[in-house]
Amino acid sequence: MNKSAATPTIEKVPVYCYQCVAGPDLLKVIVKDGVAVGVEPNSDVAAEHPAGGKVCVRAYGLVQKLYNPARIKTPMVRTNPRKARGEDPGWAPVSWDAALDLLAGKLRALRAAGLVDAAGYPRLAVTFGSGGIAPAYLGTFAALLAAWGPLDQGIGSGQGVKCYHSEHLYGEFWHRAFTVAADVPRCDYVLSFGYNGDASGGVTGVWRHAEARARGLRWVQLEPHLSITGAGAGEWVPVRPKTDAAVLFALLHAILIEHDWRHVCDVPFLERMTGSPYLVGPGGYYLRDPGSGKPLVWDLDRERAVPFDDPACARPALVGEYIASGVEVGADGARRSVSDRVRPAFERLVEHVRSYTPEWAAEIADVPAATIRRIAGEYLAAARVGATIEIDGVSYPHRPVAVLLGKTVTNGWGGYECCWARTLLAALVGALEVPGGILGTTVRLNRPAQNRLDSVKPGPDGFMEQPLNPTSREKWQASPHVRNAYRTLVPLADDSPWSAALGPAHLPWLFLEDAPEHWPAPTLPDVWIIYRTNPAISNWETGRIERELERFPFVAAFAYTQDETNWYADLLLPEATDLESLQLYRIGGTKYTEQYWQHSGWALRQPVTAPPYDTRDLTDVATELAARVGLLDEYLQAVNRGSGTTVPLAGDGYDYSIKNGRLPVAAEIWDRVCRAATRSLSGGREEHDLEWFKRHGAWFVPFATKNYFLHTTMRAQGLRYELPYQERIQRMGEELAARLHERGIKWWDVQLDEYQPLPTWKDFPEIWRGTAAAHGRDAREFPFWLLTSRSMQYSWGSNVSLPILADVAKNVKGHFGVMLNRRAAEKLGIADGDLVEIESPTGRTQGRAILREGVRPDVAVALQQFGHWATPFARDLGMPSLNEVSSMDLALTDATGSGADLVPVAVRRL
Amino acid sequence: MRWGMVIDVRRCVGCQTCTIACMQEHGLPAGTQWRFVADCEIGEYPNVRRVFLPMQCMHCAEPPCVPVCPTGASQRRADGIVHVEYELCVGCGYCAVACPYHARHLVHEARGYFDAPTPSEQANGHAGRHGVMTKCTFCKERVDAGRAQGLVPGVDPDATPMCALACIAGAIVFGDLEDPTSRVAQLVADGRAVALMPEVGTQPSVFYLAD
Repeated sequence: MNKSAATPTIEKVPVYCYQCVAGPDLLKVIVKDGVAVGVEPNSDVAAEHPAGGKVCVRAYGLVQKLYNPARIKTPMVRTNPRKARGEDPGWAPVSWDAALDLLAGKLRALRAAGLVDAAGYPRLAVTFGSGGIAPAYLGTFAALLAAWGPLDQGIGSGQGVKCYHSEHLYGEFWHRAFTVAADVPRCDYVLSFGYNGDASGGVTGVWRHAEARARGLRWVQLEPHLSITGAGAGEWVPVRPKTDAAVLFALLHAILIEHDWRHVCDVPFLERMTGSPYLVGPGGYYLRDPGSGKPLVWDLDRERAVPFDDPACARPALVGEYIASGVEVGADGARRSVSDRVRPAFERLVEHVRSYTPEWAAEIADVPAATIRRIAGEYLAAARVGATIEIDGVSYPHRPVAVLLGKTVTNGWGGYECCWARTLLAALVGALEVPGGILGTTVRLNRPAQNRLDSVKPGPDGFMEQPLNPTSREKWQASPHVRNAYRTLVPLADDSPWSAALGPAHLPWLFLEDAPEHWPAPTLPDVWIIYRTNPAISNWETGRIERELERFPFVAAFAYTQDETNWYADLLLPEATDLESLQLYRIGGTKYTEQYWQHSGWALRQPVTAPPYDTRDLTDVATELAARVGLLDEYLQAVNRGSGTTVPLAGDGYDYSIKNGRLPVAAEIWDRVCRAATRSLSGGREEHDLEWFKRHGAWFVPFATKNYFLHTTMRAQGLRYELPYQERIQRMGEELAARLHERGIKWWDVQLDEYQPLPTWKDFPEIWRGTAAAHGRDAREFPFWLLTSRSMQYSWGSNVSLPILADVAKNVKGHFGVMLNRRAAEKLGIADGDLVEIESPTGRTQGRAILREGVRPDVAVALQQFGHWATPFARDLGMPSLNEVSSMDLALTDATGSGADLVPVAVRRL
Repeated sequence: MRWGMVIDVRRCVGCQTCTIACMQEHGLPAGTQWRFVADCEIGEYPNVRRVFLPMQCMHCAEPPCVPVCPTGASQRRADGIVHVEYELCVGCGYCAVACPYHARHLVHEARGYFDAPTPSEQANGHAGRHGVMTKCTFCKERVDAGRAQGLVPGVDPDATPMCALACIAGAIVFGDLEDPTSRVAQLVADGRAVALMPEVGTQPSVFYLAD
C-alpha cells in the first residue's frame, strides 16, 4: 500500500466562480493528493457572502471541466485552408511559442498596414461571450487591448436569452440601472413579467427569493410558460407572448383612471422627484423659460408658469390646462416661441393611458380584465405610500412593491414600452430607488463603474447626466467606427468601454451579407480573436453566422473544446479554465447591488493543481503577445493604470507599478494587484499580498446598505428621474432621423418610430408573424410561438460539453426536448417523448416532445441555446434550438438594436 | 438520538445543486444519483402548480429494506441512519423492491463519464461499491467525523450532510429529531412538516414542508 492511499493529503483551495453574471461566488476546491476531486461551499465566508458562501450546480461541474478529455489540450493550427461545416479543419498541434509567434505576426502586420481599414473599420476585432463574465477570466488581456488602439468589440455573440438589452440602455438612462432588481429583502409584492431569477439569478438570487417567500412576499408571475421562478410564485398568469406591454399599460390605466391617483399615488414624489409637473407645449416639447432654457411648471399658488427649480413653488400642477408663454426647443436646437394652452407632462400621461383599459388589454394578452384590475389593486395596497423605514439611522420611504421584467420582454420590439411602463409604475407610488422598490444593480455605461451612486451627476433640465451618443449635425458619428455602428445608430448605447458590447449585436452579421444602402460596406476584420464565446450557436439564424465565418481571413480562438465557431478558426489556443489560472476580482459593493452584499472586497481565483494539459494563463498570454507585437511598454503602462484589473498599481502612499521593459509573470502582476487593491480599498490601512489571498481566498471591508439606494443622492443633488415624459428621447430620435435622412438612409425608419415621448402600443406579436409573409408563407401555417427559457444548469457556463451537468439537468423538465401543452399536443397526435419537427418560416429543428400542463396551448419552449454539431457531447444531446429557426432580420430589430427570442412555428410529429 | 431532515419544498427551485454535490461527495459513478429533485406538476392548465420535490432515502424508523435483506447488509444504526455494509451485500436487489421510495441504487459496474476515467474519477471512485446496493447514507462519514471533533451535525458545516450544506435555497435542514432544541425537531414539532407516503408505515426521518 502506498503512502498516499493510506493517508491521502487533502487540501481545500479557495477560489471564486463567475460562470454567470450573478457571481462571483466563493467556494473551495477539494484537492486529494494533488488531484481536484470536488467542490464545496466556502463556509469561511458564510458571514460575508450574501448566500452563506454557497455555490450553485454549475460550480460543481468545474472539476469535470478541468479534466474533460475532450478539451483542446495544446495549441493547434488549421492545415485545411477550406472553411466549411463539411471540411475537417485538419488541426495540427504546435508549441505555444509557435502559436504566439503566428498570432503576433498577424497582429504586427495589421499595425504595419494601419489599425483601421479603407472602409474605416478596425482591422482587429475581439469578441468575448456574455459581457459580464469574461472580465473575471481575462487576466490582463484587457490591458493588451488598451495598448493596441482601435479595435472592434462589436461583432456580437448574440443577445436573446442571455441579455436584457433594452433594459440595459433605458435602465441606465432612467435610474442607473444596467439591470433592475427588486429590493427583495424589503419587498412584499412582486409582479414579474417573465423574470426568471430563480434560474438566472445565481446563488444569491435563489437565496434571497427563498428567504423572501419564507417571510411572506407575494409573487405574481406573468409568463407564457411556468418557469422555474414561476414555480415559486403564488400565482401564475399565462400571458400571451410579447403582449406584456398591453398588460402593463392597462395597469397604468387602472391606477391613473380607475383609482383616484391623488390618493393612491405618491404625489410628493411625482411633484419633486420626477418631470411630471413639467409643462409640455403644443409642439410636444417642454415649455421653457426663454432666458434660462429651464422647463417650466405651473405654480398653483401664484397661478403662473415658473422654472421647475423655483424654490418658491410649493404646489406645482400635475394636471390641468394652462395658458402660458415660453419656448419649445426641438431637434437641432429649433426654438419655437409659444403662448398657448399647455399641460403638465403628468396630465399628458393620464390622457395617454385612458384608452388602455383592462378590457382592451384582455383581448390582446389573454389575461382577464378582472385579473388586471385585481393586480393593480394589490400593487397599490402593498405599496404603502407614505410609509418610512429606518436603515442605518436614516429614514427612507418604504415602498415594498416591484415590477420585474424578463428577457424577451425587455428585448426587441416592446422592450421600450415595457421598460417605460414598469419604471413608471414604480415612480407612481414612489417605489423607485428606495427600500422595498426597484433598484438598479450596477452601471456599465456610466462611470465610475464601481460606484453607482457616485455616477449620479447633474444633467440637463434637473435630470441626471447621461453620456449619450450625440445626434447633432456637428457631432454625430456619421461613419460607423465599428461594425455594429452603436455610436451612429443608438444614442442610448453611449460610448463607454462596454458600449460596443451593448450595441446592436447582430447588425455586423446581418450587414456582412446584406449591406444596406448608403452605408459603408462592412468589411471582415483581418484578425478576429474570440474568447468564451460561440456565436455560431448563440446568435439567431445560426446558418447565416456560419456562412460568414467561412470568409473570415484569420480567427484566433481561445478554445475549451472544439465548437461550432472555432471550427472555422485558424488557430486554437487552449483555454486555461476557472481552476487553472490566476486573477483577483472585485466583489460586493454597488457593482453587485442585487446580491445585497454587506461588504465590498476582492476574491482570488487561482490554480488548484498542476494543469492537466498544455494550457497557459491568459495574463501570461497577454504579456507574451504584447512583447512579440512590440507593445510591451504600452501594455505595462495599461496594467499600471488598472486596465482590466480595475486597480491602478500606484496610489496615495504606495507604488507597485511595473517598470517598462520588464516581462513579469502572472504571479508577479497579480501580487502587485493584490497589494494595490487592498491598500486602495482600505484607505491604506491594510495590505495583503498574493500568498495571503491564496490562503484566505477573499478580503472584505464593510459596505453600508444605504449605498444601495439612489434616493438620497438624488435628493441631495436636487435631481429628478426623467419620467414620465421622454422629451430627450423624442429629440434625439428626430435628430437621428434627420442625420440618417440627410445621408439617404431610410432602412432605419421603423426603428426611429420608437423614439416616442409617451410610448404607444403597437401590435408587437404581428411584427414577428410578419416574417411568414416576408418569406412567402402564410402566418396561419405557424400557430405556435417557439420561446426559449433559462436553464440554471447551463446558462453562461460554457459547460455544454460536461456530461455530469446533463446528468443532473435531465431532472429538470424541458432539457433535451421541447415543452408543449399536453392537450394542445394531444390534439396534434403528439405523445410525450415523440420526435417532433418545429418549422418556422425560415427553418426547421427537431426534438422530443415533453408534455406539460404549465405551458400555454399556443406555445412551445426550447431551453437555452443548443443546436451543437461540433462540440463534444453537446452534439449528441438532441436539443432543439430556437436559434436554428429564428430569423436575423432588420424588421425584428428595435431602436436599441435588439431582437427577441420568439418565433412563430408549426409543430408536427415525425 | 435520531438523525433526520426537514426539506422545505417552498424554498426549493429544483436547481440540482444537492444532487450534484452528493454525487461528488460520494464519488458516484455516472448516472447514479442517491438523491435528486423531481420536477412535478399539480393540476391542469391553466390551474397548475409546478413543485420541486427532493427525493432520497427516508432513513425510516421502520425501514422495509432492512428485514428483507438476506445477508444482513442492509442495516439501521442506533442513531437512525439506514445504510448498506458493502462487504456483506450480494446485490440481490430485494431491498430495492421493498423500498417504497425507490431510494436504492444497484451499481453494476464502474462507469465514468468518459471512455477512460479522469484523474478525479480515479481519485474519488469506490471500487468496493460495484455489484452492491448503494444509497444515501445521510453522509454518515461526515456526521461521525464531525461528532468526533465535537462538532454539531446540522450546525457545523464539516459535520453536516453535503446536500444540506450545498443547498443554495436553505431548503434542507439536518439535525437530531430527538433534540428538542434542534431546528429539525422544532420544525417537525410545529406540525406542518409531513412525511411522504405515511400510509406505508415506514416512519421516515425525512419530512417535508409545503403549502
